[in-house]
Amino acid sequence: MTDKTKAKAKVYRQTLLAGLWRENPTFRLLIGMCPPLAVTTAVKPALTMGISVIFVLVCSNFVVSLMRNLLKLHLRIIMFTLTIAAFVTVCDLYLKAYLPEMSEILGAYVPLIIVNCLIIFRAEACASKSGLVVSVLDAIGMGCGFTIALCILAGIREFLATGCFFGFMMMPSGFVPWLAMRMPVGAFLTLGLLLGLANVITRKKEG
Amino acid sequence: MLKIKYFIQQSWLLIVSSFFFGLLIAVTNAGLSPRIEQNKINKRNRLVGLLLPEAKDFVLDAEVEIESIPGKKEKIEVFRAMSEAGECVGWSFNAAGSGFADKIELIVAVDKDFNKLAGFDVLVSNETPGFGDQIKYDYYRNQFKGAPAEELKLIASGDPKKIDAEIVAISGATVSSESVVEIINTFLTQIKEQIQKKGLAGNDR
Amino acid sequence: MDRFYVLIMGFLSVVLVNNFVFTKFLGTCPYLGVSGRIDSAFGMGLAVTFVTTLSGTLTWLVDFFILTPLHLEIIRYICYIVVIAGAVQLVEMYIRKFFPSLYDVFGIFLPLISTNCVILGVCLFLDIWGTNNLLEVVVLSAGTGIGFTVAICIMAGIREELIMADVPVCFQGAPITLITAGLLTLAFMGFAGMIKW
Repeated sequence: MTDKTKAKAKVYRQTLLAGLWRENPTFRLLIGMCPPLAVTTAVKPALTMGISVIFVLVCSNFVVSLMRNLLKLHLRIIMFTLTIAAFVTVCDLYLKAYLPEMSEILGAYVPLIIVNCLIIFRAEACASKSGLVVSVLDAIGMGCGFTIALCILAGIREFLATGCFFGFMMMPSGFVPWLAMRMPVGAFLTLGLLLGLANVITRKKEG
Repeated sequence: MLKIKYFIQQSWLLIVSSFFFGLLIAVTNAGLSPRIEQNKINKRNRLVGLLLPEAKDFVLDAEVEIESIPGKKEKIEVFRAMSEAGECVGWSFNAAGSGFADKIELIVAVDKDFNKLAGFDVLVSNETPGFGDQIKYDYYRNQFKGAPAEELKLIASGDPKKIDAEIVAISGATVSSESVVEIINTFLTQIKEQIQKKGLAGNDR
Repeated sequence: MDRFYVLIMGFLSVVLVNNFVFTKFLGTCPYLGVSGRIDSAFGMGLAVTFVTTLSGTLTWLVDFFILTPLHLEIIRYICYIVVIAGAVQLVEMYIRKFFPSLYDVFGIFLPLISTNCVILGVCLFLDIWGTNNLLEVVVLSAGTGIGFTVAICIMAGIREELIMADVPVCFQGAPITLITAGLLTLAFMGFAGMIKW
């Protein structure tokens, strides 16, 4: 492999991995915070939301990157929003058709992906300035980081609230469920504590 | 003329992409909407099928207008449950109202003469987990199966196994229990009145 | 008289009982960002109230008169977002030109919030709740904005005090804000069951 290809491969790998930890949207960048609080009462909805976000992110980054040289400066936000809205509508239709129970649990939070800061932020910061491959890899990385964060949060909440994980009962029958975890209180508290934990880990890594 | 040219120059991308996105959405919708409709029908069939076991199909029979809260009129769809032989085995409709925390939505089933309740199921509720949430459980729901289709009354303590117009509240969740009783009372009495006035109840069509 | 009672109850319910920040988790992004000081929080809250009332009413009108009769519900989301963005843009230009003093109070936040979760959330929930008359729509959307303002001002007040407190380094900033928000949610839960109509 030539040096140029090696350098390119390195850039690709870095873009992909950045979204997973170093620039994790929920724990480090603190954007797109509405879904982590709202849909993480159980792991199944969280996973469904995460996959929907990955789908919309990839499609929107792809299209924005294709259009990046044609965008007029003052119309770009509305172009991004239009693109994202179209793909979210498509995603919503798919969810209603193939996963109706999940679509009901997620309710209004699927169309709210349109205004999820994460997607617009990535379109603005990355896709409108970079090539196709980098944009798509960035979308996949960020989307996966987001999904992982959602699932960790949902896993903790579901486990403490019902003793289940992904619908399977894991704790012995003497387990007293901590019902507050299913309510908004549990969401805010868990996310706050996890953010603090992420900060601790980052500081330790940096020395 | 120059202004229009400038306008088009600035926004041609917006117009073209709107067209393409519109096309994408239209195609997806055309492809998926039969499935979505089927899902909705399946859901109703599944839920009410548990309450009215002989029902095989549901036909939208009437749209009645009722007053759900004083001052607010709503249109409610009433479905007739048909058995496999084509006979009416009951009716079902959606009822909603305010609970302790948020809105509660129920699906209610009654027998074919609007004499007895076949029961209800909770579609949407955000009641306090562990307390108001128990309106979804059998202790509370079974008291409605076979109860007379008239004004129900909530009592604080009694025998939940006795099926009559008195419903025993869930201890620790009086407001949620009361809300469900009130929702069913409001909707049932008004719908029953209108359906009987229209002469539809009890007809085997 | 009954209609009036329903409106008042609806308003109170949206401000206190079903506060959009504490029970529906909408608006957490600006919530974490702007709630550092009470005056900026209040400005933000005012801007949000203004935009929610405007966009809630407009999108409901579009839905009622254009989308539903023509069975175009499928483009609902795109319509909503375009109406919201356009309305906010126009209003911002108008205020900047004709009411500069008002612009100083909350104008700078306007472009920031046209893609805020609360705005689209209000439009979507108005649709889900099945509101069917204009006055109710206006009252409920205004109530949502006011609820957001109440939430963000309380938060700003607490954060101003937190600056003096001894928060562990790793929890400074977003983590402690979220934990405080959680405790506030717990407090607001006490309002549940207050409205019984």
